[in-house]
Formats: sequence, structure tokens, C-alpha cells
Amino acid sequence: MEWFIAKIFAKYNYWVFIILMMIGFYGIIAKDNLIKKIIGLNIFQTAIFLYFIYLGAVKGGTAPIVDEEIIRKGYLYTNPLPHVLILTAIVVSVATTAVALSLVIRMHQEYGTIEESEIIEKLSKEKVTPTE
Amino acid sequence: MNGLRIFTIILIILLCALFIYVAEDIPVFGDRDAPPIKAVTLFTMEVDQVVSFLDQQIVPEKLSKELVKRGFPPPSRIEKITGIGIEWNASILKEEPHYAKEERYYWIKKEGDKVRVSRYAFVVRWIEKGLEETSVPNMVTYGLADYRGYDTLGETTVIFTAGVSVILLLRRRSRL
Amino acid sequence: MKRKEGERDVIVETVTRIMIPFIQLFALYVIIHGAGGPGGGFQGGVVFASAFILYVIAFNLAGGRERFPEAANTFFSSMGLYIYAGIGILAIIFSLGAAQYLNYGFIPFTSHFEENRALGMDFVEMGIGITVMAITASIFFDLAQKERNGKEEEGG
Repeated sequence: MEWFIAKIFAKYNYWVFIILMMIGFYGIIAKDNLIKKIIGLNIFQTAIFLYFIYLGAVKGGTAPIVDEEIIRKGYLYTNPLPHVLILTAIVVSVATTAVALSLVIRMHQEYGTIEESEIIEKLSKEKVTPTE
Repeated sequence: MNGLRIFTIILIILLCALFIYVAEDIPVFGDRDAPPIKAVTLFTMEVDQVVSFLDQQIVPEKLSKELVKRGFPPPSRIEKITGIGIEWNASILKEEPHYAKEERYYWIKKEGDKVRVSRYAFVVRWIEKGLEETSVPNMVTYGLADYRGYDTLGETTVIFTAGVSVILLLRRRSRL
Repeated sequence: MKRKEGERDVIVETVTRIMIPFIQLFALYVIIHGAGGPGGGFQGGVVFASAFILYVIAFNLAGGRERFPEAANTFFSSMGLYIYAGIGILAIIFSLGAAQYLNYGFIPFTSHFEENRALGMDFVEMGIGITVMAITASIFFDLAQKERNGKEEEGG
């Protein structure tokens, strides 16, 4: 029982990230509405960003801006490398969401609906041939 | 869609079991000596071969041979760290334009019977020498725009491409 | 309560007219002070674009389109990338053959190597801010259009 508490409950941050990740994962796969899938993708990406920044935190560390007083007092800095990589990843996530939303608008213009099951029915009835 | 939901829930339960199994190796929150923050251990050696050389600040042959065998550059200078434990810093020579200095690369520590050789993480140089090399206080900014400038160039290209592809998809043909 | 056609909401319009210049000023502050505190190019660019979005939400879409026409979009979104790549090529030219693509220290803004790097970084951050502002506003205007091809679809 002690092993259980020490190894698993002591890392509660980890479980918050896992719960967020699984919520997003369920939203991507098992929901019908296309907009809900895009929101699930965003939640998944947010959980990944939080986990990556968590790996670089230092207990008792301050924000990574160099200052003479802080060096003299002997404080620690948090690791700035994950922040740099996640800035790039956030911009990629914004770009992906923008293109996905414009695809949903085009699908709505073509088929008149956003539910995935109705689109599959219409596709199977239509026998789509490539138009030029 | 009942089948898809049940399949998803089973997959989520399997993944959670995998995450519980892996939870032992996740580092404790905020550890000061964790590998991404301070140093990565390379190998350990016997004490009597190297300690006498290190105390006189001469590079021992066995250390250089072991390092070169594993593909790391050999050290050129040793200096002793003042403090509680018995530790040394080993530096290597680098060739950089305008900054052709030596860089503090290895961390050698004596623990009981063995001598542990580890390599400093790259972030240590980033934190300590950033203000002197770039005269910008913000660590994240000089990391994004100077040390990792290529990544930011590709990043700006990505967002430009996203804007262009949204225009192509929605095909604005009339100006409002 | 939905707003009928032709009705104007006085409170929202007045507050918007006051707030938009301050939002743009704050965005410029965030871009330029990226070197001394938190901030930088990406963050400032998005705050700048949010001023345009606020204008469209308070007034109608045609008025917003007048303030940010298509020509400005084309010009600004490429100008940021040109600045970024141009500073890199300038560094190659000024380093006289030793090919250092984005090493801003060789461009002679001032006489110290380190201060050249800080000034090069400021230019690059401004370029990034301009591109991100133009692209974000352009994506918003694209997603919020009404098609008048017989059926009225409003998206976004």
C-alpha cells in the first residue's frame, strides 16, 4: 500500500495530464459532429503542451529572465528549453485548427450537414466519380 | 455508433493501464539534478586510475580513451570545483567564429568506490552564458531568435502556408 | 436578445472606439519589450490582430473589410518573411565569405558584437509580429463570410 501511495499518488500532476489527454482522445474518435472532433484535437494538444513544460520545472525556481539581484541571492531558474519548443508547437496547433475549420465549412457547403454518419450515407448512395 | 464507443472505451482503459505501468519512471516534480536540467551520466570508472591525475589537473589517458571510444570529444583541461564533494570540471576546445573559447563539458564526481563521468546538459550553457553572449535578458527570446533561429524561420513559413491554404480553400472571389 | 437589422448598440460601439488604439499600442509594447521581459513576436502579433476582430464584432463586416483591404493583407504577410530571410542574407554578406547565415553579430549596427546580436533579434521579432498579425486577421475574415450563391450560408 505504501508503494502505491508513494509512487502513484505523489505524482498527481501526471494524472491531470492523463485525464485531459483521454478526454481529447475520446472526443476525436467517438463523436459524430465534426466540430466536436476539432475541439477534441485541441484539448489533446493542450494536454501534451502542459506535460512537456512540466518536465522542465524546478522546485523553487523563478521565471527565466536573467537578473543580477536574483543571481546574487542564489535562486534557481526554471528550464527555458521546453518553453521555446512549445511556442513553436502552439503556432502549429493554431495553423492546423484554421485549416481544419475551413475544411468543415467546405463540407457543409457541399453536403448540407456536419454529422459524420449522414455524410457517409450520402457518399455511399451517390457513387462519387472524380469530376474535372 | 455503439460499436465505436465501446471500442474507444476499451482502448482508453488499455492506455491508462500502460500509463500506470510507466508511472514509476517519471521524474519527481522539480528535481534539481534531473537529466534535462543538469547532467546526463555517461559511464563510471574505477577510482585509482584517474583520481591522482585529476588532483594534479592533468588529463588522464584512460579517461580520454574511454570518451573517444564512445564518440565524445576528449577533454583538454581539468579544474576542481570548490565545494563539499569531490568533483571536477573538464572542458573541451571548440572552434567557433569570434568565440573560439573552451567550453565546460564534463562533470566528474567521486562517489565512494567509483568515479562517475557525466556530460552537462546544453541548458547549463544557455543559462549561464546567454546574457554575456547576446546582451538580452530574456532567456526564451534569445533561445527562439538566436540559438534556434532556423526553427523560427520554419515556424513563420508554417503560419504563412496556413493563411494561404485557407484562402485557397474558401476561394474568396468577391471583395466586400 | 438578438439584434435586429438597423439597430445600433451604443455602449459596445463607444467602448470599442475608445479601446482599439490602446489595444494596438499594447501589442506594439509586447513586441518591442520581448527582450527585457515576457513577450515576443508571436504574442504581439496575435494581440494586434485581435483589434481588427473587435472592430468586426462591434460593427459590421464590410466596415472591417474597408480597414484591412486585400492589398494590405498581401503586402504585410510577405513583408515579415522577407525581413527575416533578408537579415539572414545580410549576415552572410557582411561576414565576408565565412557563411554564417543567421549570426547577427556580423552586421555592423553598432561596434560591439553582442549588441549587434540584440538589435538583429529586435528586427527579426518585428518581422514575425507583422506576418502573424496579417495572417491571423486574414484567416478570421475568410472564415466569417457570407456566400450569396443562391443559398445563404454563414460560417464562423
